[in-house]
Amino acid sequence: MKVRVSDIRRCFQGVVPSMVATADGRGVPNVVYVSQVYFVDDRHVALSCQFFSKTRRNLDENPVACAEVMDPITLQAYRLKLKFLRSERSGPLFDTMSLRIDAIASHTGMAGVFKLIAADVFEVLSADLVEGYLMDAPVDAPAGASLDGLRTEVRGLQWVSDRINRATSLESLLSGVLEALEEYFTFSHTSVLLHDEANHRLTTLASRGYGRSGIGAEVGIGEGLIGTVARERRLLRLSSLDADLRYGRAIRRAAADGSRMLQEEIPLPGLPDAQSVLAIPLTVGDRLIGVIAAEDRDPMRFNEWHEAYLEVLANQIALGIDRMIERCDEPADTSPAIDAPAPLPAKPAAPRSRRRLTYYKHDDAIFVDDEYLIRNIPARILWKVLGESTRTGRTEFSNREMRIDPSLGLPPVKDNFESRLILLRHRLQEKCPDLQIVSTGRGRFALRADAVIEMSER
Amino acid sequence: MSQSRNQRCLEPGLSVLVGTADAAGMPSCCRGIAISTADDLQTITVYVPVATSHETIQNVGVTRRVAVTVTHPRDNFATQFKGSAVEARLAREDEAPFVRARLDAFADVLDRIGVPRRVTRGMAHWPAFAVTLRVDQTFEQTPGPNAGRPIA
Repeated sequence: MKVRVSDIRRCFQGVVPSMVATADGRGVPNVVYVSQVYFVDDRHVALSCQFFSKTRRNLDENPVACAEVMDPITLQAYRLKLKFLRSERSGPLFDTMSLRIDAIASHTGMAGVFKLIAADVFEVLSADLVEGYLMDAPVDAPAGASLDGLRTEVRGLQWVSDRINRATSLESLLSGVLEALEEYFTFSHTSVLLHDEANHRLTTLASRGYGRSGIGAEVGIGEGLIGTVARERRLLRLSSLDADLRYGRAIRRAAADGSRMLQEEIPLPGLPDAQSVLAIPLTVGDRLIGVIAAEDRDPMRFNEWHEAYLEVLANQIALGIDRMIERCDEPADTSPAIDAPAPLPAKPAAPRSRRRLTYYKHDDAIFVDDEYLIRNIPARILWKVLGESTRTGRTEFSNREMRIDPSLGLPPVKDNFESRLILLRHRLQEKCPDLQIVSTGRGRFALRADAVIEMSER
Repeated sequence: MSQSRNQRCLEPGLSVLVGTADAAGMPSCCRGIAISTADDLQTITVYVPVATSHETIQNVGVTRRVAVTVTHPRDNFATQFKGSAVEARLAREDEAPFVRARLDAFADVLDRIGVPRRVTRGMAHWPAFAVTLRVDQTFEQTPGPNAGRPIA
């Protein structure tokens, strides 16, 4: 039975590996697995060329192939007869295929070794259902995660925009966006990582569905799935993480015999058993603001509709974050706290616990009771306000006095001060809850200590 | 080929792919269910479901050329055999338990990586054709820079 390629698009999500047969100029066949056949349009598909393999050499001699692809939901197989047209080494198709491969390569410590050489484009000569492949008739595909027809796209935009516009702080904006994604799209494992230009890393500033542990997690630009999305400024949707990672690890083992040094594998942030990932770069113009990521245990959780639609939403989210960062960086509208008389330190009403905070200069990190708390700029901010509070008794501070203090090392523009305070606040809540950073109005914050703080430097 | 590699190529739980080409060089492929050997992989017999292998059997009848790739789904360890068919026949009833056992083992392996057993067991597997080929060449097929290299 003939089928239209666009009617079997689920087969091209890479959930189930496909098989591809070619033959050389003498008619000797070759049959291999490929991790994904890519849908191009109703008459074209593409295969990734990662190594100059026998398949590739056969196509030069005899430019035809047969691919068997499988619907990941019904498990029905389809057979495509293909005619090789060309290899693309740049352009939108190449970039899309390359991003997926780069992300997996980076995640398995194979960056630069395991990479796309070319996108091989084929004309589909025929596409047929493989009759008799399943002993029982395939079950109808469930409605799936697509929300098509259930809610309008305009309503979704309105839903998220409303959350962005109602936010009074960067923190409430981020949590509001993730809440909206859960309410509207039922994405229950999400995170937002913001770009820190000062150290060229992304830091998780909000998460939903992971508990508190996700906040503060960092990833370098270009590292792993999310770092690759940030570097390339391109959306990534992976539908079969397990299979992709097994494939990447197989190559890693095969390459490990060589002399090249391979980097350590980077643990995935979030769900340890995630099967699908959708990671979207947040950009304003060419500037990277961060990455929003969603994960799920269902390998088919995210579809093309989510991809296209969330890209639009991501623009709104990025603009909202950028606007909020600008607003939070505005000078305080009252006199800076530095001019205010220092309040007397309140006497403790009851015996208080003791907290030992140690700043390690070499690592630029603070430990609380020998447990890691925070590092880099947020660590310097905490150390500064703790020192000031100990010396003078002051507990109220302004963003402005922090921004003009060269010892903190904040970038002169777009210093993301508010995001650093959010991170500091969350880390304290998690690791040292009797020491708090509390917002006391736009551009101002206070230090609250319910414990006796012992400070030391090493 | 090393003895340990031989053993891995014959273990239960393998994925089996079969490639052929017609007289004009147009390739075809289908899923196999099992492979066996009686002479330490000098010849192998691959079992393909009758329901899905019409084109494969037609091609074997015309060109006799067959490629068979066996893969361990959990780690992608894979080997490809190429050779000429010496026999293609309907599998005998006494071979059915072996074919069924290999399908069950494959279902067990896939179940461990997230594909439910009932799904794999729903794949057509019997009646089957048994295609025996004389192995001329063996190739490394594990993904990576060595994929496609001949194995001595």
